[in-house]
Amino acid sequence: MIEIRNLTKEYEGVTPLKDLSVTINDGDIIAVIGPSGTGKSTFLRCINLLETPTSGQIIVDGEDITDPRCDINRVRKKMGMVFQSFNLFGHLTVIENIMNPQITLLGRSRQEAYDKGMDLLDKVGLYAKALNYPDELSGGQQQRIAIARTLAMDPEIILFDEPTSALDPSMIGEVQSIIRMIAKTGRTMMIVTHEMDFAKKIANRVFFMDGGSIYEEGTPKEIFNNPRKDKTRRFVKRMSTLSYRIESRDFNFETVYEELQPYAEKLLIENERISKVQIALEEICVNNLFLNDEEPNIYCSIDYSEKSDVLSLEFKYAGTHYDPSTSDNALFMSILEEPTTSMVDEVLENSGKWYDNHTLIEYRWEDEK
Amino acid sequence: MMKTMRLVSFLLLAVMAFTVMTGALPCFAVYAEDGEPENIALNGITTIEQLNGKRLGVQTGVLYEDLIKDELEDEEWLYYKLPNDMIPALENNKIDAYLIEEVGYYAQRYEHPELVRLEEAVGQCEFAVIVGNNDRQDLLFSQIQEFIADRKESGWLDALYDYWVKNWDPNTCKIESVPETTGENGSVIIAIEGGYEPFSFESGGEFSGYDVEFMMNFCAAYGYQWDFKSMEFDSIAPGCISGKYDFGMNIVVDEERAENSVLSDPYYVCDIIFVLEGEDTRNMGLIEKLENSFYKTFIKEERWKLFAEGLLRTLAITVSSVILGTLLGFAAYMACRHGNKAANALTGAVDWFIEGIPTVVFLMILSFIVFGNSHLSGTIISILGFSLIFGCGVYNNLKVGMGAIPIGQTEASRALGYSDTQSFFKILLPQAARHFLPIYKSNVVSLIKETSVVGYIAVMDLTKMGDLVRSRTYDPFFALIAVAVMYFVMEAVLVRIVNRVEFSIDPKRRSKEKILQGIVERE
Repeated sequence: MIEIRNLTKEYEGVTPLKDLSVTINDGDIIAVIGPSGTGKSTFLRCINLLETPTSGQIIVDGEDITDPRCDINRVRKKMGMVFQSFNLFGHLTVIENIMNPQITLLGRSRQEAYDKGMDLLDKVGLYAKALNYPDELSGGQQQRIAIARTLAMDPEIILFDEPTSALDPSMIGEVQSIIRMIAKTGRTMMIVTHEMDFAKKIANRVFFMDGGSIYEEGTPKEIFNNPRKDKTRRFVKRMSTLSYRIESRDFNFETVYEELQPYAEKLLIENERISKVQIALEEICVNNLFLNDEEPNIYCSIDYSEKSDVLSLEFKYAGTHYDPSTSDNALFMSILEEPTTSMVDEVLENSGKWYDNHTLIEYRWEDEK
Repeated sequence: MMKTMRLVSFLLLAVMAFTVMTGALPCFAVYAEDGEPENIALNGITTIEQLNGKRLGVQTGVLYEDLIKDELEDEEWLYYKLPNDMIPALENNKIDAYLIEEVGYYAQRYEHPELVRLEEAVGQCEFAVIVGNNDRQDLLFSQIQEFIADRKESGWLDALYDYWVKNWDPNTCKIESVPETTGENGSVIIAIEGGYEPFSFESGGEFSGYDVEFMMNFCAAYGYQWDFKSMEFDSIAPGCISGKYDFGMNIVVDEERAENSVLSDPYYVCDIIFVLEGEDTRNMGLIEKLENSFYKTFIKEERWKLFAEGLLRTLAITVSSVILGTLLGFAAYMACRHGNKAANALTGAVDWFIEGIPTVVFLMILSFIVFGNSHLSGTIISILGFSLIFGCGVYNNLKVGMGAIPIGQTEASRALGYSDTQSFFKILLPQAARHFLPIYKSNVVSLIKETSVVGYIAVMDLTKMGDLVRSRTYDPFFALIAVAVMYFVMEAVLVRIVNRVEFSIDPKRRSKEKILQGIVERE
């Protein structure tokens, strides 16, 4: 159990951590999320004193590790850390990277350390790479070995500092699945991450950090689906969804277009697909739904899934049903007929909710096949 | 590897030999015999005025040029460390004439009969003994004054001058009987040039000459043990003024010198003359000349022993400095590593000072100022100096090498639980070694070469020994080649040793067996 009391870290002119207090229980799997520069990594690095806190206490199993008399090297052996940049020892082979710390720090025999190392390499699927040097491996492989190196020390808690941020997108999966595998063994873990999907699936507690402290804490469901606080809500939504409630014909679509541009830049969506969304938005809302109802009640959301590379535009609305495929707008129709565009249009019967109709248009980028 | 090295050595030697031969060819040129009995200068110069606008040579530190400067116009002065180096300069037309004291000319003419003098002397020089500025100065000064006065009166000084200077013959002149001294009043350190016939020169492993016999007799008369130290001429006066040496020989008397130091009455006086190149009438063949030159350089008086001795001393200075300097630089790096303010300030200051001044100046400061009054030998001072210089290099190399290791390596090892020291030695240093060993190697090579300046503080290293031999043979060819080859071989050997170390500590060159030593492998 780790108890953190009034943790503050100050640099000249910057205070990345402000009076942070929290308790980490054995078996917790904590995802730390939040905007950049809010002290997530600093928080993690303070826990094993890679950063020395300016004030506050960190109590690990009843021992205050900020006390200068505390032997931090002994405490660190109980805490594994996985870095964004892997940090494998470049002059040692893969198996030595895993063996040597066990021999030097835990006093294990060479054979013991080797056996343990080979078991772990087997688990992370890199048994065959035992005698390679780190610079001969891909980023994903290096990170899997860094995780094996940490596991070999049998730590009570593992701190992951953005473990997939430096990886090529194609390698994120292999590392995440190893971390998920460890999570199943019930080991205490703390992960700073920008991968919301991953955080949602793996964690049992989520810390949303903002301004150097834990702004909101909760289960993944609470944080991602029902955030209570304003900043959390905005952060969670803004990650991949733009949503609007349109309740008047005077709705200013300009604001939507203005928000779409940075959204597209952040998520690396092509301008072409963004303009397809704009065309659809105009055609469906302005040219049709607004004509049908004097007091429109439309919920519109734009969502992008990085994983499947699908940009979707979704309408839920009350009142008269409108089928977009009956549009007489030639441009809109030609886009709708493209093989990369698909549409679901339905009337929600007996929904008993606010909206009676549902339209979902999905835009994919050109299939490579 | 060995084969390539041999080939490279051979090629290098060939290139060097060729360069020196072509450069030195004029001195082997065979002149047709002519019947003229009177040898005159090849360029036809017979008077001092004709030297206007010419290039003139003079030995550094003797100040003879001051005697004639006012009478000449547009002349250019070139300074030489050894008087005998002016002969090849003359032969290769680097200079048109050079100034030397009459006595030096007689000595040179024995080996180089083609040299001619201008009849007109530019002036006279008085030569005195400089007395070291230490606590025995007053006593030694009165004793040397008394000795010079006595011996002048008795005619002994004139007889000594006639024997060594006027009737100079390098084959027969020697100290006939070394005077007996009781040595009851301790020993005196006497600074001499050591490569300056007929005043002080090396002969069969001992110093000999006018100055040497003169001072031996002084020592015998006053109960001192003599201790002759050979050095660059321009180090003699500064060394005595700093109090390091008790006497310095052959000091030209001038007002400025007399003000700053304690000079005895003159112990000899002689004309200063211009020397020019005349015709060589010896008609010696090239092979014969080479043979003669080789014999003079290595065989005569067992001079090869001088080379061997110099080589050993240079090697001793280099190897000791490499070892001490490495330890020193490493210790300094360890002390400064965590930003300790005092250690960093001290190291920074030493580094700044040493890097900022030429090696030879630094050595002379150590020898004449810092250790001016101590009796540490020049070799020890050189080792100290070069250890500091090399240490600075090692310190800076380590800084660069360590700086090349990403901070993540430290963080990862510390996060695993490695202590600071464990992290440094097990993780950082092995990786940094790959970065700094190549620079370290080139530092070793430049150190060997830099040690060639220790002659300035009276250390008889390989270069100085080469100078001594050259000054006896009046012939630079073999002495220079021998010295160059020995430096080259020394460098090759030391670099090989560092290569071995580099190879053996390179973690990526380990075999699988070594990596998995003592482990039962799994399939």
